[in-house]
Amino acid sequence: MVDPANTTLGRMLLDEISPVVMVLRTPLVEESCRKNGLSFIEMLSPFCNFNNIDVPVRTASDQPYRLRKFRLRLFYASEIRQPNIEVAKERLKQVITHAGEKDLPELSSDPPQIETVLATSELEFLPSWFQYFNKELVGAASFAEHEAFDHPVACLLAVSSKDEDPVNKFVDLFNMNQLPSLLNDGAMDSKIPKHFLLVHDNQDGLSEKATRILTEMRSTFGVNDCRLICINSSADGFGEHQENPWASYKNSPSHNQQQGCFLNVDDIDELRNAMQDLSSKHIIPNMELKIRMLNQQVSATRKGFKNQIKNLWWRKGKEDGPDNPNGPTYTFSSIETQIRVLGDHAFMLRDYELALSNYRLISTDYKLDKAWKHYAGVQEMMGLSYFMLDQSRKDAEYCMENAFSTYLKIGSSGLQNATRCGLWWAEMLKARDQYKDAAGVYFRISGEEPLHSAVMLEQASYCYLFSSPPMLRKYGFHLVLSGDLYKKCDQIKHAIRTYRGALSVFNGTAWNHIRDHVHFHIGKWYAFLGISDEAIKHMLEVLACGHQSKTTQELFLRDFFQVVQKTGKTFELSRLQLPMINISSFRVVFEDHRTYASSSAASVRENLWWSLEEDVVPSLSVMKTNWLDQPKILPKKYRESNVCVAGEAIKVNVGFRNPLQIPISISSVSLICEHYVSSDEKESDASSSIIDHRNDEESNKLSVSRDFSVDTSLFNLSEIEITLEGGETTAVQLTVTPKIEGTLKIVGVRWKLSGLVVGLCNFESDMIRKKVAKGKRKSKKSMKDNLKFLVIKSLPRLEGVIHHLPRTVYAGDLRRLTLELRNPSETSVKNLKMKVNNPRFLNAADQDVMNMEFPACLEKQANSTRSSVQVETSKSSSSIFQFPENAAISGEKAFMWPLWFRAAAPGSISLYITIYYEVEDLSAVIRYRTLRMHYNLEVLPSLEVSFKISPCPSRLQEFLVRMDVVNKTNSESFQVHQLSSVGDEWEIALLEPIDAIPLEFLMAGQVLSCFFKLKNCRARLTAENEICSTSKKADVRLGNGHMGGFFDISSSPLIMFHHYERLHEEMLDQEHQKTVDFILISQTRSDSNPEWPNSIKVFSHHTCHCSIASRSPIWWLMESPRTVKHDFSTTFCEINLSMTVHNSSEDDISVSINTIDSTTTINSVSSPAPVSGNEVGWHDLSHLTDIKVTSDVLGARVAKSLSPESVSPFIWSGASSTRFELKSLSSAEIPLQICVFTPGTYDLSNYSLHWNLLSSSDKRDNLNESQPSSGTCKGYPYYITVLQKD
Amino acid sequence: MGSTACFVMVSKNDIPIYEAEVGIVPKKEDAAHQHQFILHAALDIVQDLAWTTSAMFLKAIDRFNDLVVSVYVTAVLCASFFQEVHELYIKTLLNPLYLPGSRITSSHFDTKVRALARKYL
Repeated sequence: MVDPANTTLGRMLLDEISPVVMVLRTPLVEESCRKNGLSFIEMLSPFCNFNNIDVPVRTASDQPYRLRKFRLRLFYASEIRQPNIEVAKERLKQVITHAGEKDLPELSSDPPQIETVLATSELEFLPSWFQYFNKELVGAASFAEHEAFDHPVACLLAVSSKDEDPVNKFVDLFNMNQLPSLLNDGAMDSKIPKHFLLVHDNQDGLSEKATRILTEMRSTFGVNDCRLICINSSADGFGEHQENPWASYKNSPSHNQQQGCFLNVDDIDELRNAMQDLSSKHIIPNMELKIRMLNQQVSATRKGFKNQIKNLWWRKGKEDGPDNPNGPTYTFSSIETQIRVLGDHAFMLRDYELALSNYRLISTDYKLDKAWKHYAGVQEMMGLSYFMLDQSRKDAEYCMENAFSTYLKIGSSGLQNATRCGLWWAEMLKARDQYKDAAGVYFRISGEEPLHSAVMLEQASYCYLFSSPPMLRKYGFHLVLSGDLYKKCDQIKHAIRTYRGALSVFNGTAWNHIRDHVHFHIGKWYAFLGISDEAIKHMLEVLACGHQSKTTQELFLRDFFQVVQKTGKTFELSRLQLPMINISSFRVVFEDHRTYASSSAASVRENLWWSLEEDVVPSLSVMKTNWLDQPKILPKKYRESNVCVAGEAIKVNVGFRNPLQIPISISSVSLICEHYVSSDEKESDASSSIIDHRNDEESNKLSVSRDFSVDTSLFNLSEIEITLEGGETTAVQLTVTPKIEGTLKIVGVRWKLSGLVVGLCNFESDMIRKKVAKGKRKSKKSMKDNLKFLVIKSLPRLEGVIHHLPRTVYAGDLRRLTLELRNPSETSVKNLKMKVNNPRFLNAADQDVMNMEFPACLEKQANSTRSSVQVETSKSSSSIFQFPENAAISGEKAFMWPLWFRAAAPGSISLYITIYYEVEDLSAVIRYRTLRMHYNLEVLPSLEVSFKISPCPSRLQEFLVRMDVVNKTNSESFQVHQLSSVGDEWEIALLEPIDAIPLEFLMAGQVLSCFFKLKNCRARLTAENEICSTSKKADVRLGNGHMGGFFDISSSPLIMFHHYERLHEEMLDQEHQKTVDFILISQTRSDSNPEWPNSIKVFSHHTCHCSIASRSPIWWLMESPRTVKHDFSTTFCEINLSMTVHNSSEDDISVSINTIDSTTTINSVSSPAPVSGNEVGWHDLSHLTDIKVTSDVLGARVAKSLSPESVSPFIWSGASSTRFELKSLSSAEIPLQICVFTPGTYDLSNYSLHWNLLSSSDKRDNLNESQPSSGTCKGYPYYITVLQKD
Repeated sequence: MGSTACFVMVSKNDIPIYEAEVGIVPKKEDAAHQHQFILHAALDIVQDLAWTTSAMFLKAIDRFNDLVVSVYVTAVLCASFFQEVHELYIKTLLNPLYLPGSRITSSHFDTKVRALARKYL
């Protein structure tokens, strides 16, 4: 611990609690001093400070000690009174204002970093005016009646030698009623030692007269108490001093006159000696004397046990009297005041032990008397004494706290004292490194007066800063509090200063409300002072305040615009956060050999296009092999950097986001670009000489659009305007179109907010995480490279569009579309190729389709050639469509080509179409280009068609087909038009006439079931010797035949789409006999479509690979007369039957027919098991169920109908088992016979066929393992009616 | 507790990861930043105290005028309020998509905290 006297508080106490000397002087004395620009006191005060006065002192104890430092305070008599509070306030305000002015130049600089702040020492960092301010505050509480250290210990009377009758003047000065009221009314002791000073102005002549007066004075007032001082000995008025002793005492140098200019070295020495003598020979001995005298007196009346009891009793007795709100008043002669004076004198003479004991003594008295102010004052002094003694910190603190709160308790009259006490207290804590507590004290001092509070809070904040560890957050917070109060008192500069300090703490904080508050206010204050640069800089920080309420956002934005408008300039701000640039949506789209028909095509992933274009575009290896043929291969730099073509726009997608809740308008959004005419190589060549290089660069950098005068000969920029609603995110497309070859660099984007402020965003620096649209190939490159483009000579560029491609469409919809290609340039292109990613949906048509009527051209032509089918399918299989050679297009003429479109399957479909073309200009760097088109469409389910095919039980090679059509749409109604089976070998017919189909339209949700008979012509061809080769009946009309003929399913586009459907089902071109393909064609009349009213839409539904195969490889057929008449009276009836068995499998099989002579009554057939189904047009129900060869149902029925008693009405005659072999795909006829005994109707189903494959097992395994190698089939119901012959 | 309250969760490096004004009285415009200032400044005290005590709940460690700051230090009122919010916070931490230390934006968390505030404060 340092010596308490050397701490700040120690020095303060030395200054403030020191003996007061009352000065009385005549006006002439003052006049002489004024010549030096000083008042009398000012002239003397530098010499009242003694750093080493070295006077021996002996107070109450017998042990003398030496006093080193000493100070006298001089006051005119008129000043010895309690200062006027209002005047004091005014002075303090001036001090602050003055200090604020001095700080101004620093305000524009950046706020200090917190690290540097922490590194600086306290004394350096604290504003110097704090001390002065604190001193003024302390001074405001001086000359209180409850304290004694402001009581004058001596009186200095000064009379000029020019005064008439100086000796009388001395008497008059003290006797006049001008003495301070405090002395007159008895609060202070007026019997103080006097000292007489005769001031002689050497400019007024020689000092003989003065010497004479001095002699006279000495005889009157005593030899020791009189002194003569001569001043103004330097005649010329230019007395220079090595050091100006007055510099630190005059705080407001209001005039230029050199202080003390008429005082020469002798004068100053004389003044110094005079004051030294006054102190050491008069004042200190007098004080010693008084201490000893008072001590004796106090000991006599108050010390000792007896006195204490007496005092206590006496005080108790006084309690009955009326309570004076200010407590009792004590005159200087009262014992209480005497003790206090004794304490204060001891304190001033550094005898703290003595002071403390007296303060303690009086403290209890005051407390008992409820003299709170006196009590607080004594407590305060006790605390200070403890401190100076450097003992019992706790007691010291307790006393100070007690004093402080007591002062506050007594109300406004104690306020000044409370402030002073608080200041001392805080200093005491600071001296002991209890900065945190000191801050708390400062915080408590800050009272109602906002200006004082501001200063106190600022001091508190510094305490937090210098506490260990530093409490930076508290520091910042209290600075902000203080700044707010400064602002309240219109001390804007101070407010800015404190906020700047706070900024060094809060800079970059995540506490957004704090950051916004600090930046916004400091910005506003800077604007108030006219420092608009700083104002805007701070305002910028708060603009993107999405977390604030809407009104706050509006306030921020409005104030920001006001600041900007006030400057009248257009600012370019690189940190403007309104709107925010959405980095993730940043994309660059440029076209080299890849061109895009639409922006959606550009957003498709590159590898999708790559896979599509793989076999269209000449591959890299191909290019390498014939590099000799190529006059120009791409130079290295072309491959390494992005290439774009002059005259073609580079599109940059930038996402803007409005973080606010209020709409903002942005105008003049454009890119910032730089264009270099020379290539990179040239620049690097030029770097051999630095100066040259720089010149080169400057000359090359012809147009930087940063200045508004963009040279439009180099490139064009697009400009757009947008309004962003609150919270809205918008992506805008900006373009730059280079006009001549060279290098183009996209630097950033600029925009204008509300027409006032220009915002800049530099892509390179602002977006480290980049996203450029191009493929992986480039991803390893830096952003810088990605935004640099090599501009090459202009090339032809095809533009393409597919007209009328629907967005939403029902499945099966078949349309003719038109592809339109344009080449705006003069150079023609050739060798056009097209590839579609999904040929199920889209295909190129023949050119002549263009001119035909649409639905009609699909219909069967009389002269339709079947050969075209093969051509079509073979062509479409390669999936690349080569346009005819003569299709080189150039100029304005559009090139049209028809396309077939069919919505093959429901769902969301993306169609990618790439069109490859070559540039005829051989000098071009890029030889070919591709046009990429992308369309999305939604295919809705329409008709769902399903087929069930089962062999017809009654006919060989005939099948029953059940078609179920479900309309899955919500509203559309369809008209089924035609069902066709694909291929040569099938013939299809309705089971019943058209009229039986009860509907015109298939409404939404409706189900239609139809039954068809399907014949295999090929089988019949072989069997029936080509009877019906000409009458092809592959198509069936289903509707009412109101519209034209059949649609030709064997010609393009239906056959082509059918081909792709088959491909899609992954059965490839395997001509399988056991499957059949159907095409259902339906129509709808779209009255709803406004574009083509009353037009007909054609839908084709393809169902492929419907299996006709049953599990069993054998088919058989019973043949016999159905009705037999026989005369049973003669004999039983023998009926011959023949069974034709056909082997439909590809293997040889062996078949055995087993007849079962069991019971089947006539009646048993009368109740066939009811089969579910209300299907229209279906009659042969039991057949359907019987076809299920493995039928459990049938077996059960047979079993049930068995009755053991009954005798079989017929028996199978002949062998009960017949076995034979059948070659593959062959038939055999087996004769059978039954014997019938009574007339009736008989069901001949009680037989079964057993088959097994004969082929070698390994072959079978290879073919189809799923097929069983043997099986048993139950007989079909077959009815014979036998009648009694008449 | 007073009529107005502000609840802030702070992660390391002073980053507030969750804030909620849970007062009943309609707050003044400047209440938000005032509360932030007070709570932010109180962190200095917390920093001091966290080393001297093992208690997680520090009641009324700091005050500014009539506003009292209580702190619950999780691996650093009503202690139960803080405890339940701590549980919520741990649940949030378990979310694999939540980056520890970043701002909590979950609306579920927000409603839960406000419900707890109504219950306890």
